[in-house]
Amino acid sequence: MRIGIGGPVGSGKSSLIAALCRELAAQLRLGVVTNDIYTTEDAEFLRAAGVLDVERIVAVQTGCCPHTAIRDDIAMNLEAVEELERNQGPLDLVLVESGGDNLTAVFSPALADAQIFVIDVAGGDDIPRKGGPGIARADLLVINKTDLAPYVGSDVELMLSEARARREHLPVQALSLVAPAGAQHVASWVRERQQRFAAGEDLPSSVTGVPDHHHSSHAR
Amino acid sequence: MVLSMLLADGRFPAGTYAHSLGLEQAVADGLAADEVPGFMGARLRLVAEPESRIAVAARRVAHSGGVSAVAVVEDEWAARCPNPVLRECARRLGAGLLRSAAIALPSALIDAYRHASRDTPRPVALGVVAAACDLGDETLARIVLYDDAATVASAALKLLALDPAQASRWVADLAAWIDDAAREVVADARPLTEQPAPAAVGLELGATVHARRRERLFVT
Repeated sequence: MRIGIGGPVGSGKSSLIAALCRELAAQLRLGVVTNDIYTTEDAEFLRAAGVLDVERIVAVQTGCCPHTAIRDDIAMNLEAVEELERNQGPLDLVLVESGGDNLTAVFSPALADAQIFVIDVAGGDDIPRKGGPGIARADLLVINKTDLAPYVGSDVELMLSEARARREHLPVQALSLVAPAGAQHVASWVRERQQRFAAGEDLPSSVTGVPDHHHSSHAR
Repeated sequence: MVLSMLLADGRFPAGTYAHSLGLEQAVADGLAADEVPGFMGARLRLVAEPESRIAVAARRVAHSGGVSAVAVVEDEWAARCPNPVLRECARRLGAGLLRSAAIALPSALIDAYRHASRDTPRPVALGVVAAACDLGDETLARIVLYDDAATVASAALKLLALDPAQASRWVADLAAWIDDAAREVVADARPLTEQPAPAAVGLELGATVHARRRERLFVT
């Protein structure tokens, strides 16, 4: 199974992946594909974190087009996933980290079986209201760095309630990687998804490649 | 005709958007915006024209000679591309092209070739796809040449301060040269081993330097 992890620059995608690897590495055969815009920084961060064998982390460079690499032209990412599987044997779960991008970036269903969108309180508590396909329809929306909310003047409860209103039945998870529970809730969601996927359950991702429906209804 | 446009279109999902074909390193070494047309012309003569010969040779044997005959052309390509960085990138791009072509342009020929070779370099892969789509030699040669110039022009917009229409003008200015070169490549009756194979030593050295840079926008 492949899970795409997207979201704006600095929202904490790499740290979440590191935390997920810590939680899941003992139970699942894991691989990580990072998509960097300008360097191999994300891959190096994860390798340095020591959460996974370095050979299980591969970097794809995206020529300053992170959204292209996960949606419009996924050839390089698919090659990277297959390279991981060739070299590491069968994997239960590959996490594909998008390069930090804007709110419209989503993963092609041909690349990711499910996707997590990560935003953070420091980006402003109006972000759930602004919406976009990742916020509205990612299979899981993570609102990260809740511990910083008092310092940046963001209202976590407002963010959660506006996100839930926008997403109807789709889950939203508040996250603070410095809190005792850390990424346990997100890891449980990932594990449950992976188990259902492995059992052959049909789990169509809630995100399709089309623009946000609010947006397109305006256009019409 | 339309299929040739599809293959020449940078939006066809084959991973080329992440490459500057040496322009990023050339700019780092001091190449100015007004020198980009000269760079494009040099690439056409020294790299793209020989690659178009490889692509045409692959197209000619793909139907009749099958996978083993195309493998001979692949060896000829490798002999002309000594730099390991450039070899690896061309093979990844070729694999990406064949992957997308297998879905976009279903054909037993592409499937057979993908099955036999996981690391087909892009010029050879284009020859195989052209054979599968019944594109003519001259059309194929023109695609290889145009694609090279258009990829550099597109990358230039991200590396230098430019009017995007100016970059298109550079490609347009090379149109007549490309048409002539495509005709000459197809008219060359000599066996591939006796056809011209110049070396772009500066580009090859630059590719190795570029691959070691810490910060870069493009894969090559």
